[in-house]
Amino acid sequence: MSAQKFPALLLGAALAFLTAFFLIPMTVVLVASLQDKAGGLSIAQYARVLADSYHLAVVLTTFRISIFTTLLCVALAYPLAWYLVRIVRWRWWRRACVILLVIPLFTSNIVRSFGWIVLLGRNGLVNDAAVALGLADRPMRILGTETAILVGMVYVLLPLAVLGIGNALLKVDRALESASDDLGATPLRTFLHITFPLTLPGVVASAVMVFTLATSAYVTPALLSGGRVTVLSMLIFQQYSATFDFSFGGALSIVLLALTLILVGVASRFGKVRT
Amino acid sequence: MIRRFFVTLIALLTLAYLVLPLVVILGSSVTTTPFLSFPPQGASLKWYATMLHEPGYVSAYATSTMLATSATALAMLLAVPAAIALARYEYAGKRSVHALLSAPMVLPHIVLAAALLQFGGSFGLVRNFPSLLVGHVVIVMPFILQSVMPLFTSGQLALEEASADLGATRLETFFLVTLPQIRPGLVAGAVIAFITSWINVEMSIFNTTAELNTIPVKLFNYVQYTIDPTIAAVSGATIVAAAIAILVLDLSIGLGMLDETP
Repeated sequence: MSAQKFPALLLGAALAFLTAFFLIPMTVVLVASLQDKAGGLSIAQYARVLADSYHLAVVLTTFRISIFTTLLCVALAYPLAWYLVRIVRWRWWRRACVILLVIPLFTSNIVRSFGWIVLLGRNGLVNDAAVALGLADRPMRILGTETAILVGMVYVLLPLAVLGIGNALLKVDRALESASDDLGATPLRTFLHITFPLTLPGVVASAVMVFTLATSAYVTPALLSGGRVTVLSMLIFQQYSATFDFSFGGALSIVLLALTLILVGVASRFGKVRT
Repeated sequence: MIRRFFVTLIALLTLAYLVLPLVVILGSSVTTTPFLSFPPQGASLKWYATMLHEPGYVSAYATSTMLATSATALAMLLAVPAAIALARYEYAGKRSVHALLSAPMVLPHIVLAAALLQFGGSFGLVRNFPSLLVGHVVIVMPFILQSVMPLFTSGQLALEEASADLGATRLETFFLVTLPQIRPGLVAGAVIAFITSWINVEMSIFNTTAELNTIPVKLFNYVQYTIDPTIAAVSGATIVAAAIAILVLDLSIGLGMLDETP
């Protein structure tokens, strides 16, 4: 067997499978999105997504939630990663914490969102606590708001950010920090000028991952929105399960794909990392 | 010192935030009341018994297990040879092939599922087990590829050449020399693939029926309309299963995450 044919043989099955069940279906979606009712070529479906104020609002809501989710995830993940990598002394405690971080990753988004449905409900623990502490006169409606979706999304994606940033912190050469300290820099200055820049590629990579998963998340927003907030993935789901408008569904899908890929591209260039 | 105290405080609060919902589910699943209540009133496993007596849940667990097992196995058969071709050989278009094989990992699952539904609908690949299977294989394959590829090192190549020099056939060399060396990656990849399939809603939701349902889709459809202690028990069971899986992994091959001495 020639050296050229062998890799083709090894790749053959995987490539054939993905062509049949990934590439062709995605092409079908793209083609459908460019068709009008009569089957002619048309960009009317895209105009419907971007020119209609309701649909545009859904796109904006999706990206607003995704951006806030990303910012909150990074803001919470950095201290936790720092604590686990730099502060914890007992190895068994770090190991226990890592297990606590990973258990949610092994549990479905439904179960994790369900926990928040219970917690954020009108008679849930959060409202009870808010009333007891005098933060609110009576139970607030939290479920079905963007805040609820945000709480759930940050919760679902935070472990990934902690692991990503933690790995970046582990790789930092401590000698550089010592050098900075020896030269008289305050701990804050050392952090801002040495440690943080060194972990930046890891932070950006984690942020990009969180952002992509947040824009495409379906289960968490569907469960915590209570039908009052709609994000892009929910709109796509409706087209394929209720209204059966495959052309419009296709256009929405392509918009979601394009916006995700563009933002990932920009962020990767900014952080000079490959995802 | 004060700074360190604050970082620790934020970290512990964040950890509490990560654990709280799981505790709430486990707690409310043992309540004796017929409605969901946390903190639970009393403690009993009766809702777990209710779950086991409902055929719908048992069959959904069975479907999910069979689906995750077969999707993982099929994805391994496809991804391992592909990983060898990507790690060992040089050829034109290799980067594009790698990008294509990893693409399903970064693309929205709901879009992939919709595409498969529309395409499969044209020739009857809908609402049956094969339609669920192909979708799950598409999304788990990249994970296996990713875990296995780094294990094909150049040192192995020397061992394989030695094996060939000693008269072993390509297949013998693969099973006796290559495979044992990539085993850790295979195990890790298979675990991630199995879990990804086991907890997936998006790839299954268009193709499930009343008779053919996976446990995540069943839970999802239920939780959208009602929440009761049985659902807490079903969820609690998956949390316990996840915790056991992780403990077993940590004690056997070791998670080795965020540890200076892996």
